[in-house]
Amino acid sequence: MNWLELFPVALFFISFFGLLIGKTVIKSIVYILLMQTSVILFWLMLGARHGTAPPIVQDAAYLANLDTMADPLPQALMLTAIIIGVSVIAINITMLNALFRKYHTADWKTLDAMAREQEDNDS
Amino acid sequence: MLTFFVIIPVFIAVFLFVFSSAKTARILAIGFQAALTVWAFYLLLLCREAEVVTAVGDYAGVLGIFLRADSLAAAFVLLTSVIFLVLSIYALHEDNSRLFWFLLFLLEGALIGLFLTRDFFNIFVLVEVSTVVVAILLMYDRKRRNMAAGMKFLMVNIIVMQFYLFGLGYLYMLTGVLDMEAAASVIQTLNPRDLALPYALIMTSIAAKCSLLPLLTWLPKVNTMPGARSSIAAIMSGLHIKSGIYLFIRFQEVFGGMASDLFLVIGVLTAIAGVALALTQTDIKLILAYSTVAQVGLIITGLSVGSGYSYMGALFHVINHAIFKVALFLGAGMIIRLYQTRDIRNIRGLWRGSRMISIATVMAIFGIIGAPFFNGSVSKYLLGASVSGALEWVIILINLGTILVFLKYAAMFFGTPPEKLETSSAWRCKLGAILGLGALCLGLGLFGEQAIAFIFNAQVSVDALGYLEKSLIFAASLGVGFVLYRYVLAKRLDSARPILQRLKALDFGFGVLCASMGVFFAVVLVVVGVWGA
Repeated sequence: MNWLELFPVALFFISFFGLLIGKTVIKSIVYILLMQTSVILFWLMLGARHGTAPPIVQDAAYLANLDTMADPLPQALMLTAIIIGVSVIAINITMLNALFRKYHTADWKTLDAMAREQEDNDS
Repeated sequence: MLTFFVIIPVFIAVFLFVFSSAKTARILAIGFQAALTVWAFYLLLLCREAEVVTAVGDYAGVLGIFLRADSLAAAFVLLTSVIFLVLSIYALHEDNSRLFWFLLFLLEGALIGLFLTRDFFNIFVLVEVSTVVVAILLMYDRKRRNMAAGMKFLMVNIIVMQFYLFGLGYLYMLTGVLDMEAAASVIQTLNPRDLALPYALIMTSIAAKCSLLPLLTWLPKVNTMPGARSSIAAIMSGLHIKSGIYLFIRFQEVFGGMASDLFLVIGVLTAIAGVALALTQTDIKLILAYSTVAQVGLIITGLSVGSGYSYMGALFHVINHAIFKVALFLGAGMIIRLYQTRDIRNIRGLWRGSRMISIATVMAIFGIIGAPFFNGSVSKYLLGASVSGALEWVIILINLGTILVFLKYAAMFFGTPPEKLETSSAWRCKLGAILGLGALCLGLGLFGEQAIAFIFNAQVSVDALGYLEKSLIFAASLGVGFVLYRYVLAKRLDSARPILQRLKALDFGFGVLCASMGVFFAVVLVVVGVWGA
């Protein structure tokens, strides 16, 4: 294992720790974004484990270098993951917007208290 | 062929998005949905002979992406289409916007896709799709929605899917494939300890989907969001959580039943916690939601026992639970509309108030507590058939807990109803839907053996003497439960004891939710990494 591969792993757990202590919704969203980035980085490094030559076969001679080619699958998957990640974060931010308009705060603790109050009134 | 099972719901969704204002269009959509159900039935018949496989994109071998339907997948597809058929009948006269219909059927497509696919990455994509759709559906009513709970739901689900993707990366590094069956055959050759990290990461995400013990608190809160319609709550509790259980079954297959002892313990603890939390609630939707947690615990226990009958019983219980829990939630939705309250203490005299809702609800309750001749009794009999010793008693005790919960729930039938209870003729569809589900509870109970033989293509024999014994145990637990509830619990539960109040208002902050994920992850990692099993 390349020592560089430990970087996304560390980033993943650091951002998870950030989620544990994050006090506002905005910070939590940022940490989720960071988490997504670390996972994508991890996958991309997987693709380059054996080599970094682009996996495009131009001629027969190129086939001899199969071992040094990058694995094309991870980057294809990560393109999808990036798209999903972007849309999911977009929905999060949209919801945060609506949330802020309703409660005028983005602090988790205040939010919980206000939501609980609303629930008690409803039932 | 299998691609159409995913495409047809999406087609219905688009169709309703365009035409939903016309009632004939909605009836036509129900027709399409009924056709899909019949076709799912046919798929189940086909799967009895051999697995149905469709290669998406026409690549053969491990390189391709496959939709595969074996009996299990086909059973879940049939279950999904039946539940959505019932829901579309239930919601026929509701004043829903086109977006609601669109998202509802999009969700069906995503769920069916999830049940059919065997590609790890497809699962990630489809789970994300269904999460987003469910989140929007939950927050559908603008005025009364609980944004904080919805935000938590969405974020928790996104975080666990990052866990999944990360674990998948490790798995891909170790196995080099993304197809489930190919991965399973590679994993057999690996040392279980090497798999500890990917296994723990993936299982954390799946456990959060099924809301197992340390992660359970997000689900019930979401279910009862005042803004969430009862039909959406029914999907959440009846079907969406089953997708988590389905993934649990599949991944346990892939990993060769790793850490099943751990999940046995977690399942039992989840069931106990679910029962305890359900007993303290006063909101009828919360009672149902926490009882879902208890039943999921029971199912996970049965699946982790591993031997034939218990496993079969747990699978059958998944189907049964979906049916009666959807019936209960839809019934609860009508009751809430009738009484204009969700507080169980203020709902009285339902039997005299509305006979039909009562009959359907009673049938579903008989199902969930495992009364003889109803479907729950068959699956609970099988669950307890191949376990012995302490575990057998634990399962009986959990059922006693379920009986207690539903004795509390059944209190709504007695007493005198308030002066005016308005039912309208537009309710005929709703009544038909829940009565149909209630009848299904009875039918699957009477023909339990045949149903299992048909659905899962497996022979089980329900021993008449054993069934009688279970029925006697049930009668005894019902008696004990009644005495316990009437003379001990009824007075204490609603009193203002601080510990009960704290249990009732169980509502963790976001940080604690994430911490519970971390704890679960660490426990699985340590158990698999140290003991290697």
